[in-house]
Parts: sequence; structure tokens; C-alpha cells
Amino acid sequence: MRAVALHGTRCQSCETELRQIERVQELVNHTMHARADSIDLSDFWSGVESRLGTIRPSWRERLQMWWSEGDHRWVIRVPALAAAAAVALFAVWLFARAPEPTTQPDAPRIAAVDNAATIESLESDVDSVAVVSDPETRTTVLWVSDETPVGGDVP
Amino acid sequence: MTVSPCVVVSALLALVGMPVTLAAQEELPNVVSSPASNAVEVRIGAVLASNSGKEFDARLASLHRQFDTLFPYSSYRLVKEERQRVPWGGKVGFDIPGGRYVMVIPKEFKNERVSMKVMVIEGSRPIVDTFLSLRNHGTFLVGGPRQHEGVLILSIGADMLP
Repeated sequence: MRAVALHGTRCQSCETELRQIERVQELVNHTMHARADSIDLSDFWSGVESRLGTIRPSWRERLQMWWSEGDHRWVIRVPALAAAAAVALFAVWLFARAPEPTTQPDAPRIAAVDNAATIESLESDVDSVAVVSDPETRTTVLWVSDETPVGGDVP
Repeated sequence: MTVSPCVVVSALLALVGMPVTLAAQEELPNVVSSPASNAVEVRIGAVLASNSGKEFDARLASLHRQFDTLFPYSSYRLVKEERQRVPWGGKVGFDIPGGRYVMVIPKEFKNERVSMKVMVIEGSRPIVDTFLSLRNHGTFLVGGPRQHEGVLILSIGADMLP
């Protein structure tokens, strides 16, 4: 390259030819820029963008891209904390709605069992006796009704 | 001379040091239809129900629904609660308010039900004399005897002992 440049300084014909070539390059360059400037590119990007829109990545690919873009550990932490809070609230609700324990642990516990009695015989010395069987509470009641005053009525 | 198998088994067990009564028990047919245990626990509660006040004894919490559904009173107070263990066929008695007396005789345990005779005696007369069967751990109610400004409600139940 240095030898060519040195020859150009000494050879008149080659230098003339080199200048002509440089001139041609300058004209071509000027012409190309002028043509390029005359082209209207205002609608170019919208056209490209409309074509890009038809090539959408799948839901799974987008999710993978979103996941790889940043730190998303909160996505696991937040639902986990919400689930733990829900479980805690449910436990509190369960304990809150439990019936209060009786003061005596041996208190009768009839609500949880079948209390329906089968009466095989019944005799009474009072005016009337009614047998009440309540299907709702599954409880049998013998109700005695007597107007005869007894010692218990006297305070 | 014939020797019964029971005697032979008893003799063999005596030789190895085991109590003979065990073998005798195993040889006996199961004549008792029921009891998984030798005793049963009878429980009774006496509740004074009235319309004076709106008290509901906290010890009666498990009976709240029954009382609300079955009786028209606004106040319920547990005045006595007692449990007694009794052998099958034995007799157990409870003194209750008003000079009354409750007698219970558990007879047998069959089909998960306890059969028993129950008498509520007032003075010298039985105001209730009944024979009934009730599911194990169940409770039935006897109500109506007048007491002060209200009535007495008795809860009577039986629990098989393990």
C-alpha cells in the first residue's frame, strides 16, 4: 500500500487516474445520498411492525421470557403467605365457633348422640304422662303432669 | 369312668401353673347376652326450669338446643348432678330435689343399647315406672314434677364402662 502511494507521487498519469477515480467515487456517493434522501420512509416502520404483529410468541414462551427477565420470587412468596394466612384465619374461626366447655367435664353430653329411647313399658301414679319424641333433637321426654300438691312444692 | 374335657384342660393348666378359673371361664357358654363389661355408669342431672329470669346454667350447654326446642321455660339451672357405677342387674338410687327419689336398674346391653328400669318416686308413689332401652351414652328426659316456681327436668343416661 505504501509502495502504491509512493508511486502515485512520482507518476503523473497514475496520479491523474487516481484523482479521476476519487471524483467518480465522490459523484456516486453524492448521487446515492440524494436518492436515499428522496425516499419517503415515514410508513416503513408501521409496515414492518404490522408484519411483526402476526408473529406472536406462544403464551408459554412469553411466560418464560418474563420469568427470565427479572427477579420474580415474590410470585411464589405472596401466594404462599396468603395461603398460610388463610389457614390461620380458618383455624381461628374453627376455634372461635366451638362451643364453650362446660364448667364440669362430666356434664351430660346428649347433643352428639342419638337420645331416642325405646319405651317397652310405662306406668305412673300421676294424672297424666306424655311421651314426647322429638325427631329434630332425637330426644325422648316423659312429661308427667300432676296437680296433687306435694312436699316439693313447698319452699 | 368318663372324664370331661374341661377337667382334663384344667388339670393340664394347673400343671403349667395357669389359674384354673381362666379355663373354666373359657369353657362357659356366653349366657350373658350383653355386657362387654361388668358394670355400667348411670348418670342423672336435675334441672330446675322456670320462667323467672333468663338464666341458663353454663353446665347445661350441651342441652341448650333440646331445652330450647322442647320446653317453654326461660331459665334452666342445674341443681344436682351425680354419677354412680352399678353392676348389671344392680340397683342405684339418687335423691333429687323435692324429696323425690330416682331408682335405676340397668338390665342388659344389646345392639349398642342399654336396657334399664327407671323409677321416679315421689313420697310413696311412683310418678314414673318404666322399662326402656337407650343408646349407649344417650340421655332421656323426665320432666314435669313441680318444684317451687317451676318444674323439675331430669336427664338420665347410661354409659358402658370400658
